[in-house]
Amino acid sequence: MLELYDQINEAVAFIRDQWGETPHAGIILGTGLGTLADQIDVAVSLDYAEIPHFLQSTATSHEGRLICGSLGNLPIIAMQGRFHMYEGYELKKITLPVRVFKALGADLLVLSNACGGLNPNYQLGDIMLIDDQINLMGDNPLIGINDDRLGPRFPDMSEPYNRLLIDRALRIARREDIIAHKGVFVAVAGPNLETAAEYRFLRTIGADVVGMSTVPETIVAVHAGMRVIGFSCITDMCLPDALKPANVDEIIAVANAAEPKLTQLVMGVLAEESV
Amino acid sequence: MATHSPLQAAQQVLDQRWGQTARFGVILGTGADEVAQQIEADVEIPYGEIPGFPNATAIGHRGQLVCGKLGQANIVAMQGRFHLYEGYSYQQVQFPLQLMRRLGVELLLISNAAGGLNPVYKSGELMVLKSHIDLMFRSWPVSSDHSVESRPHMRADVYDRSLIAGALTHARREDFVLHQGVYAGLLGPNYETRAEYRFLRKIGADVVGMSTIPEVVYAADLGMRVMAFSIVANVAKPDVLEPTSGEEVIDAAAVAAPRLCSLFHQIIRNA
Repeated sequence: MLELYDQINEAVAFIRDQWGETPHAGIILGTGLGTLADQIDVAVSLDYAEIPHFLQSTATSHEGRLICGSLGNLPIIAMQGRFHMYEGYELKKITLPVRVFKALGADLLVLSNACGGLNPNYQLGDIMLIDDQINLMGDNPLIGINDDRLGPRFPDMSEPYNRLLIDRALRIARREDIIAHKGVFVAVAGPNLETAAEYRFLRTIGADVVGMSTVPETIVAVHAGMRVIGFSCITDMCLPDALKPANVDEIIAVANAAEPKLTQLVMGVLAEESV
Repeated sequence: MATHSPLQAAQQVLDQRWGQTARFGVILGTGADEVAQQIEADVEIPYGEIPGFPNATAIGHRGQLVCGKLGQANIVAMQGRFHLYEGYSYQQVQFPLQLMRRLGVELLLISNAAGGLNPVYKSGELMVLKSHIDLMFRSWPVSSDHSVESRPHMRADVYDRSLIAGALTHARREDFVLHQGVYAGLLGPNYETRAEYRFLRKIGADVVGMSTIPEVVYAADLGMRVMAFSIVANVAKPDVLEPTSGEEVIDAAAVAAPRLCSLFHQIIRNA
């Protein structure tokens, strides 16, 4: 894990060469939600392939660009396209960009994902603010000798997602008449979608939505001492007794349709950040 | 000179520096240093000086093998253990147990510091493991040191029932609380979220930790009798959760250490 520190610094040095600002927030966008990037006043756009130690994005509908610029009036840095465990990558590599955001000066991480809804009160296209998470990926990005320069050996996870930010987002959602819930996200490795029995299991253990990302990034951000806000877009209803085969195109269509709401919420949350 | 396997080389170091055998093996987790102090040590060998041993990095853990006597009996004790979250493989975590087996260990006593999930438990109390739930998601390696026939009966009998009964009797007579319960083993290293605490409690766990299961399963595989204790370091209340720190865990564990010593003495005396 100690080599990670040097990798972070090399990626940071490369980005700083092209972009001189200090980002207030880092943003990682999920499946079908990449067009929030259109709202960014882009100063520099970098291919992942150019950036030292960054992985390549292979997932459907994920682009692979790091965008530096401003959103509203805040300097931000955003990943358009993210890395997943099911692509065969190590969690340490997947979460390297979070470390890079922090090292560039960002203290806030904004995450979004497309997920399956387990809570029967949710509907297709709803947004859920992630209140808490369950890690069922069978892995952890912090395994290895701890580098105390990056964070503590045993990070506390009593509040992985910042409560003030959740409340702020929910308030903005009410004001803008957007349906937004607050719930528990469970992460599995994937890549297969879950069986009906697995959906029942996940619901039983307390999850409201299920996805294949986000949890590793959040663990690393908490380790690094960042504030985190996570938005889940319910793109597939996973009700085990009325389960239909999942269709990736439909999932992406739902995500695209929900995207303006997500954009509005993220912009609203960032607009109230004091700089 | 013949080439030696790491295990043979490790055994050679033990033969040279101690030259004895032991019926009892001990793995001391966080907060159990007091037990180590009660051992009449013949020799303390830092892990770095034993071939095949990695170096322990966890907070509150020293890394040495203590060989000597506890009461009248020869014991070999690991002061500081190896965790999967440190990046060690199953094989590395299990290597010291192979060495213990070579030294003659028949009964393995394990301690750990764990987070309490059962709301009846209090910080500083002890729990004897009656069973466990393996949520470490690591596959069991095929070992070459013993035959497939010795595969463990992964049922309740992994944790020796008569030893548990003896420990409970001892705790009653000595007038301290000893719970019996289920240990959930997770990879770590982050502490659990509120949602994870609720999940683990719901599926039947009384405490949660990041060790012990690879050791227990492998020791049983090697034919040892096994007994394990959790020091309840703090009790998670997911509805009013406060941050946990490594230092806090070590503080709470120190309260339980004298009781753990008393149990270890008693078990070894009677076994």
